[in-house]
Amino acid sequence: MFMSVELMLNSVNFLLVGYSNFLKSVDGQIFALMIMAVAAAEVVVGLAIILTIFRTRHDMDVDHIDVLKG
Amino acid sequence: MFEFDLLELTRETITLAVGLTAVLASLGVILCSSPVYCALYLIGNMICLALLFLLYNAEFVAAVQIIVYAGAVMILFLFIIALLGGKKEIQESPAQRSIVFALIITMLGELYLAATVGPTKPLEGVFDSKTVAEVGGSAKAIGLELFSRHLIPFELVSGLLLVAAVGVICLAKFSYVPLRRRVK
Repeated sequence: MFMSVELMLNSVNFLLVGYSNFLKSVDGQIFALMIMAVAAAEVVVGLAIILTIFRTRHDMDVDHIDVLKG
Repeated sequence: MFEFDLLELTRETITLAVGLTAVLASLGVILCSSPVYCALYLIGNMICLALLFLLYNAEFVAAVQIIVYAGAVMILFLFIIALLGGKKEIQESPAQRSIVFALIITMLGELYLAATVGPTKPLEGVFDSKTVAEVGGSAKAIGLELFSRHLIPFELVSGLLLVAAVGVICLAKFSYVPLRRRVK
């Protein structure tokens, strides 16, 4: 599931770099760098959340995470 | 009689081939039986994207993609998968193994082609600051833009990374111990 998010962010990166090449500007590549940084931070926090859930519940099924209680 | 540039045609063909490999690798991410294989296919997808960045004259972004994305983020993914223990759901067939080898060999060939055919060429002659800055997409050009016009997003991203690091430490620390102390 998290890998699909990475796929989507990579596709946006690719689009940005393609258009920066087409329009001959560097802004697209800088935005791609920012998106890479944001994606790295998001992956880190998401995996920490998954680890915490796995520690308390020992159950990795995404369908069982449906109640907002501790 | 239309005339075409042979180098352009080769570049377009190689872009198409690398793009096709990236799409196949991303299909492998979704359709795989074990989480480790999905992560490895995702690494292959990211390397294909880095080759595409090389073909699009963005060398710095390609290097950052390999170092940061494929090198740090995916290794973190693999650590977590190894820690949590994803199991293989179905047994793989020998045909799948040969597909993996074919994918790796194809990507190595595409790496060679993307580095030689595309507009990313090794700079000959003197490493002058003028010749380096002319090639837009190099580290100097991105540095010039990043630290002058896009300074505020740059600082905000550094703050964001700090917040992410602090958040992860909080998540890792506050799972067990303070709750037990408060119950007393």
